[in-house]
Amino acid sequence: MRGRLLAMLLKEFRQLGADWPIVLILLWGFFGAVYIAGHAGAVDLSNYPVVVLDLSHSNESRELVSRLRAPYFKIVRMVHSDREVVETLDAARASLAVIIPPTFARDVQESRGRFQVISDGTQAQMAILAAAYIAQIAGQYGIELLERRSGPVLEQLASLPQVDARVRIEFNPSINVAWFSSLFELFNMITMTSLLLTAAALVREKEHGTLEQLLVSPLRPAELFAAKIIPTVIVVLLLSPLSLYAIVHGVHGTPLRGSVLLFYAVTSLYVFSIASLGLALAVIARNLPQAMMLMFLTLWPMMFLSGAMSPPESMMPWMQYLSLLSPMRYYIDLGFQVLFKGNGFAYVWQDILGILVLGSGLFAFAVWRFRRLL
Amino acid sequence: MLERVPAIAIKETRELLRDPIYLGLAFVIPMIMILLFGFGLILDIKHLPVAFVDHDGSPWSRDYRDRFVHSEYFDLVGVLDSRSEVEEWMRTGRARVIIDLPPEFGRDLARGRPVAVGVTVDGSFPSRAAIITGYVNAINALYNQQLLTDLAARRGLAATSLLPVQANLSVWYNPTLESKNAVVPGLLVLILMLFPALLGALLIVREKETGTIFNLYASPTGRLEIILGKLLPYLAVAMLDYFLIFAVSRWIFEVRFTGSFFVLTAGAVLYSVCTIGIGLLISVLMRSQLAAMFTTLMVTMTTAFNYSGFITPVASMDAVGQFIAQLIPATHFMTVVRGSYLKGFGIDYYWPQLGALVLYTLVVYSAAWLFLRKRIG
Repeated sequence: MRGRLLAMLLKEFRQLGADWPIVLILLWGFFGAVYIAGHAGAVDLSNYPVVVLDLSHSNESRELVSRLRAPYFKIVRMVHSDREVVETLDAARASLAVIIPPTFARDVQESRGRFQVISDGTQAQMAILAAAYIAQIAGQYGIELLERRSGPVLEQLASLPQVDARVRIEFNPSINVAWFSSLFELFNMITMTSLLLTAAALVREKEHGTLEQLLVSPLRPAELFAAKIIPTVIVVLLLSPLSLYAIVHGVHGTPLRGSVLLFYAVTSLYVFSIASLGLALAVIARNLPQAMMLMFLTLWPMMFLSGAMSPPESMMPWMQYLSLLSPMRYYIDLGFQVLFKGNGFAYVWQDILGILVLGSGLFAFAVWRFRRLL
Repeated sequence: MLERVPAIAIKETRELLRDPIYLGLAFVIPMIMILLFGFGLILDIKHLPVAFVDHDGSPWSRDYRDRFVHSEYFDLVGVLDSRSEVEEWMRTGRARVIIDLPPEFGRDLARGRPVAVGVTVDGSFPSRAAIITGYVNAINALYNQQLLTDLAARRGLAATSLLPVQANLSVWYNPTLESKNAVVPGLLVLILMLFPALLGALLIVREKETGTIFNLYASPTGRLEIILGKLLPYLAVAMLDYFLIFAVSRWIFEVRFTGSFFVLTAGAVLYSVCTIGIGLLISVLMRSQLAAMFTTLMVTMTTAFNYSGFITPVASMDAVGQFIAQLIPATHFMTVVRGSYLKGFGIDYYWPQLGALVLYTLVVYSAAWLFLRKRIG
């Protein structure tokens, strides 16, 4: 039986190697795409484009404007009329307009300084963040003005009662998005490769009619499936450590705090799990286009429910339950816990169990459906 | 010279209809995507687990804690006794944010002095960390404002006298700042990028794999006829998807729509022709369906998601990011979609975007036409 499996494995590798565009795409995916993902946009407010209309031309207004600075804001234009403000916002060249009225300097002296902020709401989450920062900037400026002033108000007050929230971001102190996004892209690549390579390898036999030949051969279904899964596992285990060390850690500087060995032990288990899902879909589908549809029917919800795109705590309960059925959810959780937080086996054994149970279930399902085809 | 286009289109349509599972999924999957992503992404991020280390235990610290606990953004998961537990709770993720109130918290505030609190945020997912930081700062700022107005009231001053500078905020285009108005139209752009491209990607390479491409090579059918004949039925599928997504956006998500449906549809036609063309081009270049599928995923998904302005405004990207953004059709269609849904402009405003899409389409189809010849010749 070992000879049969070996012969089948050799054939699979030869087929994979013969399709050189696939080899190129895999290289691009594991290296290029992971590299690019680290350069994708920020999640926090950064360089938020602002247009300024300063009608006051005073020291007070200039000081206010100077506080709209990097990393949060970037002043893209100083304009001189309302019309220009509207044009800039309409064309989305700026997402925020700050309009300082002519009376601003005097108003500030009288403690009723007001300025107008127009926010482009089309990207709601960013607009909310921007509004919060603007309010903070205005408040801080006001406090400093009060402290500078030696008027009758403050003579009685030595200082103001204020709570200073000193935020420290654990595990990623400067919110470096590349640390997260390159690692997440690598996990995505591992998932996509495991699913697509394995499913396509089986469906191809169906489409070319060679599956019947394999069926009449002494090869058992479990052996056939193993021959389809093992090359995928080997490909992923070859490429992903290179990508992890060269791009994720090397180029983007993501700290690897935990046991990479534990991570890779679980990764082989995970590849087996996802590859089994691919086999199950390939057994159901009649041809590759159908298999592709079924893969995306499962892939996108899995990615979405993995918890990396929106916080699992905020998901609706039905989504949280649904996510329990996705091996990716456990893998993402484990990957970030082990590599990023440096957590050991004791923290992640439930994730490992989840991957193992789902993977075995999918493999058993694929074998069972396949037997029924015979 | 294009008289064989209908024949090819009819053949492709027949093949599509013969595979009802495939055709059905071509409508089901975009629906699932818009519903799942829509309902998922428009969720305001709430119920984040917060824990406190309260060394003070005075009415002041309880009041401060309540500001967080009673907001819908945070769920209290525990009050810890010591700093040492903080690390463990961060590691397990039981709490995503832990706020440490010092023993002098109440005393200092009562005496009118500033006090610092320590906030530790789980940074493993940066977007969540940024949002948590934003919420903490906002709640903290409101509390500070309350402290100042209380103080002013005690001293018999006008409530605003301690807030000399204030911003009056108004929001345009999406006044209620509902994320669904931002997210759902954006999803239309993403789905019409991914899906038509994937459908197109299998078209020619499939014939290569099964060998039927030689029938086409041997026939007098021109390259343009092959490409257009294959395009038309899939354009119909893409447009049906577009109408379905539009209907869902209007009647299930109830997204505001202030612009012209005609302009949006014109943009959608152009954009779908373009995205199917990207798939077709990949299909012409690749040898296997697997390679075509994989390449299309790589080319469309990451770029459209990250650079189209779906999440971050294009204007805030760095030079490289802005360059990539200009290169992909999703960015231009995004402007048309956001504008049509939220800004209510007429067609005059969109000529540059529509022009860019036309140009893009011409380039993609010329390339497909060019490379298809090499195989025939």
